[in-house]
Amino acid sequence: MELFLQAASVAFLPSAIGAVGLGVLIGLIFGSIPGLTFTVALALALPITFSMEPVAAIGLLLGTYIGGMTGGSVSAILLGIPGTPSAAATVLDGYPMTKKGEASIALGTAVIVSVFGGIFSLIVMIVSVDLVSRLAISFGPAEIFALVLFGMSTICGLCGGSIIKGLISGVLGLMMMTIGLDEIDGVPRMTFDSVNLLQGVNLLVAMIGLFAIPFIIEVATQRMDVAPTRVAKIRAHLPSLNLLWRKVWLMVRCSVLGTGIGAIPGTGGAIASFLAYDHARRFSKERDSFGKGNIEGVIAPETANNAVTGGTLIPLLSLGIPGDPATAIVLAGLMIHGITPGPALFMQHATEVYGMYIAVVIAYVWVLALQLVGIRFFVHVLKIPRELLAVAVLVLCAIGAYSIRNSAFDIYAMGVIGVLAYVFVALRVPITPIILGMVLGPTLENEFRTAMMLSGGKAGIFLTSPIALLFFTLALLVIGLQVVSELKFRRNPQEKVKA
Amino acid sequence: MTDRRKDTVFSCVMFLLAGAWTWQVLSTIPPGYGDGDIGPRAFPLAFGLILLALAALLFVTSWPPDREDLCVVAPGGKEVQLSQKIHWLPSALLLGELVLYGFLLEKLGFLIATPVVILLVMMLNLRIRSLRRLFGMSLGLTLGCWLVFEKLLGIYLASGTWIDLG
Repeated sequence: MELFLQAASVAFLPSAIGAVGLGVLIGLIFGSIPGLTFTVALALALPITFSMEPVAAIGLLLGTYIGGMTGGSVSAILLGIPGTPSAAATVLDGYPMTKKGEASIALGTAVIVSVFGGIFSLIVMIVSVDLVSRLAISFGPAEIFALVLFGMSTICGLCGGSIIKGLISGVLGLMMMTIGLDEIDGVPRMTFDSVNLLQGVNLLVAMIGLFAIPFIIEVATQRMDVAPTRVAKIRAHLPSLNLLWRKVWLMVRCSVLGTGIGAIPGTGGAIASFLAYDHARRFSKERDSFGKGNIEGVIAPETANNAVTGGTLIPLLSLGIPGDPATAIVLAGLMIHGITPGPALFMQHATEVYGMYIAVVIAYVWVLALQLVGIRFFVHVLKIPRELLAVAVLVLCAIGAYSIRNSAFDIYAMGVIGVLAYVFVALRVPITPIILGMVLGPTLENEFRTAMMLSGGKAGIFLTSPIALLFFTLALLVIGLQVVSELKFRRNPQEKVKA
Repeated sequence: MTDRRKDTVFSCVMFLLAGAWTWQVLSTIPPGYGDGDIGPRAFPLAFGLILLALAALLFVTSWPPDREDLCVVAPGGKEVQLSQKIHWLPSALLLGELVLYGFLLEKLGFLIATPVVILLVMMLNLRIRSLRRLFGMSLGLTLGCWLVFEKLLGIYLASGTWIDLG
């Protein structure tokens, strides 16, 4: 208790609170602009922390991380372009809500459930850091492969009208991620001797192209052909407590899911948010309204991707294993300030660890304050004429794509992928499975190949692990349910078309 | 073109793409090196074959292409197709402008390339004719982005190899 009070006295210093707030603000800005991720924000924020006290410094980094994770939802909801990969699932129902004139409700809900997910995962982390880290570390390549395969099975739920077209879309995403230098053997694949292709197709570049370019073409064609569609009247009000209370059980389930996924190194917010979205859709009473602006489609991914923040800190603090590039920078920040994560962390740096816990809570208070105040300003984006908004989106997306690798090639790639996405949308081929394929593809391949190498080529490694078997069974169950639902649809197609 | 005919064409394009991909994988990527290494070829090859199978399946399910379509009935009883018309010209125009933007960024830098491309997009794609809007947007957006990203956030925006305004 004495150590906790000592930590609180440091964490509640105005300079520390200000540092966390600054981090949250930087994260929110970077997270909400497509292409500028919070990983970039963390890299830029790291040098600022050099001269700070450890708790304030780590608070600034954690604030940037948390702000970035929540900021991704702003552009996802308002423009239909996810600011970060972990907000890709939020687009599915967040943007349709904006089209219905419910942008502020979607944004408000996203903020509140983000804070819920983040605080929930923090509590889980504090209570179970030791147990969860031991469980998570027992995930070898076979188990992670099975988990990712289970994630892939959710493609069926994102297919819209046609499972075959959705699967084609997912396979295209998987194929795209095999382009470039093979991570295990270092062999160039499908690069056609192009130096630019050696680095492969960047996930963010593809994501910007997939979501932003169709929007710009749509605006351009509306100006050429027909009168522009008007966004419904903008109202600035927040979700009611009653609504949130009715969804609290969904929030708890998605928080558990996000924390669990976050604790497994090499996974991350995008996987968690897609799994949570699919989970919410599958168990919802209003399944047919998903993709058309169902609030549960915003609650589930936003709760889960923020719950990942606490989850990733579990292996980071207890074992020194960063779960993703962003937490790797947080790890660097910890080490720069003489805090080495690992089993001895709680004995050697208890004050700093407690200080970090408090900093996370302060960061979420900042998120809540900044975003809730900001909503009334954010929604005014929708008042900007669509043609001017399209130009601004184009320039911001081009800057985002270029700044990832300082390469004009990424702008070309964004354009090509974007035009293809536009054609796909026009042909009723769902584009979300492409993102899922791109997010999960590299992990799927690398973990499978590593598992096979570890077992000397014996596929039995996947069948001897109970955890892997559990995920395989779940994947089969999900696919089976979806096939049954598709067969029912084929018997009575009008029912689904009307829906 | 009916939705089913579009599906038939789409499945044929995907089939060709999958065939070309599989052939390219087989001819350029080496197989595994033994000792459990399934190699860098296995996954791209598997994905190519899966796409072949899926494209064939889509072709079969969309055949015959002139069969009755699935439609939604709009208010007033008019049947509306579920797919949309593809606007090839605006798409190709935008792609061309993005390619030009990438080229100009590297040659002339952000401060010159950006207003040029904004003007092109606004005039050609969006048919905006107001000079105030054209110059206001192109110069305002360029300077705004330069100040925020380059000066405030320290993010590198391209400087040209032909002309460098910094």
